[in-house]
Amino acid sequence: MNDVTAFFLRRMQAPLLLIVIVYSISIVGLLMIPGVDEDGNTWHMSIFHALYFVSYTATTIGFGEIPYPMTDAQRLWSIAIIYMTVISWFYALGTVISLFQDKQFLHERHKLTFRRRVRGMSHPYYVVCGFGETGRAVVRALQAEHYGAVVIEKEANISERRLDNSVEYVPSLNADASEPESLELAGVDANKCRGVIAVTASDEINLQIAISSKLLHPNVKVICRSDQKEHEDNMLSFGTEHIINPFESFASTFEMALHSPSMHLIYDWLTGAPETSLSTPVQIGEGHWILLGYGRFGQRIHDILSEKGIRTVVVEPTESLNRFFNSHDNRDRFIVGNGTDADSLQRAGIDSAAGVIAGSNNDANNLSMIMTARQLRHDIFVVARQNMDKNRRLYRKINDYYIDKRHDDESLKNVTHLTMQTNEIIARKIRALLIAPLLLDFIEQSINMDQEWANVTISRLSAVIGDHRPNIWMIEINKDGAPGLIQALGYGRHVLLQDIMKHPHDNTTLLACVCLMIKRGDNFTLLPDGEMELKAFDKLLFCGTLDVKHDMLPTVHDLDRLNYAMTTEYQPEAYVWSQLNRVMHHIDRRSGIRGKPVKGRSKTHKTDNGN
Amino acid sequence: MNQQKVIFSFFMILALTLNFGFFYGEISDPDHHNVYELLAVVIVNLIATVLKLGDKSQVGAMLLATSLVAVVQLVAASMIWTYVEHISGTGLTPLTMSTIVALSGGAMLANVISVILLMIEVSRFGR
Repeated sequence: MNDVTAFFLRRMQAPLLLIVIVYSISIVGLLMIPGVDEDGNTWHMSIFHALYFVSYTATTIGFGEIPYPMTDAQRLWSIAIIYMTVISWFYALGTVISLFQDKQFLHERHKLTFRRRVRGMSHPYYVVCGFGETGRAVVRALQAEHYGAVVIEKEANISERRLDNSVEYVPSLNADASEPESLELAGVDANKCRGVIAVTASDEINLQIAISSKLLHPNVKVICRSDQKEHEDNMLSFGTEHIINPFESFASTFEMALHSPSMHLIYDWLTGAPETSLSTPVQIGEGHWILLGYGRFGQRIHDILSEKGIRTVVVEPTESLNRFFNSHDNRDRFIVGNGTDADSLQRAGIDSAAGVIAGSNNDANNLSMIMTARQLRHDIFVVARQNMDKNRRLYRKINDYYIDKRHDDESLKNVTHLTMQTNEIIARKIRALLIAPLLLDFIEQSINMDQEWANVTISRLSAVIGDHRPNIWMIEINKDGAPGLIQALGYGRHVLLQDIMKHPHDNTTLLACVCLMIKRGDNFTLLPDGEMELKAFDKLLFCGTLDVKHDMLPTVHDLDRLNYAMTTEYQPEAYVWSQLNRVMHHIDRRSGIRGKPVKGRSKTHKTDNGN
Repeated sequence: MNQQKVIFSFFMILALTLNFGFFYGEISDPDHHNVYELLAVVIVNLIATVLKLGDKSQVGAMLLATSLVAVVQLVAASMIWTYVEHISGTGLTPLTMSTIVALSGGAMLANVISVILLMIEVSRFGR
């Protein structure tokens, strides 16, 4: 018996008991009291008639006195029956109604419904704990990658309201995610559950969720958000797969922006939400940086700047944080000042600064500093730390602030600010993890490449993708990921990278995609050459449009197609297929295939495939 | 002394004993089976069923099941009696009487199982 039914029955015990007892007393009374029939003889009611009488009396219907008018003794007893039975009926009805308003009952029903819906999920899904801004962004990312999502959120009504606009159905549970029961209801131990994503606002709760998930189902993937190092280490100790520290992520993004704006652009573009298109790179000028707020965030930024040999001027309201000030560069200065007024900014040398960093933990101070700085120098680069989710619209307006029409020149059209939005950072990382963990490896490996390399990469990528949304996929050369290819390698054949990039219907052109990286063991090869030979257990990372991905997959799955790609002769298995192939070939040529010719052959000069 | 347990056991055993009282006697002889006793059996079985509601344990589920079986059979017996007495004009024939008593016998078996389960549970956990 499930919890809901049991709860209901237990509650109804008292009213039902009362009804049975009251009915019994009434019936027995009626049986015992003698009546008088029309001739004056005494008679006794039968059980059946007594039950009938009591029934329509208790429910206040009141047909009448049957079969003969009652004696006064009977009538006296009837009065007693009326009051006893009617009240007990109302008591029963009242109990039922209050039951359906009872919070515990409703919660039990909610949990049961939730559990049923989770079990009925058709796609593999991730459990998202915490449905604030970050949770919403994560759920959107999951749905974009065609995963299901299950949400656990403590605050009531948040889930229902915000999930109304969601594309597919998302079961949501209104409970504390750190309780193991919630995770069990969300089906953490089911086969369809691919992982648990813990993005609540509190590190301790995230830690708790990670521990519970790992204990309930050791193989489940856990992605956790953590703001503090000690929690991070704790989470790593019991095997959390991915920990996202928004501060660290932003710090490395900032480093990327300083070091190589084109690389930052690539990162932004490949991991961004589906609607983002290629934007222009950030433009950071020469000069020192002014840093407001020397807390955790500020110190990290200061470290990064110092590593790059960039001078920093720290502005703090009081002397108290001076002791943390590691002057890496003896040109660094520590100024006591407000940071939000023009005077302190002038003292910090804003006229010659490259950028300002609004890194305090108070949004009002940050925004005030930014506005003051922009007034003094409208083109200064701004790095902003957004503390509260609800202020994100304000931070987005930074670029628009003080755009004076007189100064409307090209430089203002570039991106001149970088905001640390915790949710966006986390959602981006998770999106990258979902698409292909290899993508994060690619970013990591390419951080240290120089600007020219990044520019070349951007131009290659935009050539194959254009305005469409970039699609990233990974091909792992093993029995599951590329059975045909593994077979070919097993026969000892040499397969080159460009072989699997051939168009499935025309092996003289390549598909419009770029191979970003090949991982072989612990070695990474970025932007490998087409002539590179593939080996078993390689992992390849590609970027292109979605239909190109679908075109490439058959080549690695089917040995026949691979043969076609590698040679100029197609060996069809049957006459029908060879004719079909010829027909498809003509159709494709008419509609125009997008692709690069191989070895200088032009598109119109195709060799006939001998069919 | 657990008052709830006393009441619970009281009604279960009362149901069984009353049922046995009604059942005993020549199966088709109406003089051996009192209609008021059948009334009492039905009432006490209903009370016992209500007391067993809402228990989520395995034992509780079985007890509830046996009570429901007993109630179903007794209600069927009462229906037949009502029909024969009031609705069709035949009155109590030996055939109908034996049917009624047979049904109450079935209910009695259900009550027996119920009581046995009760005794097992008590002997497992009680002193």
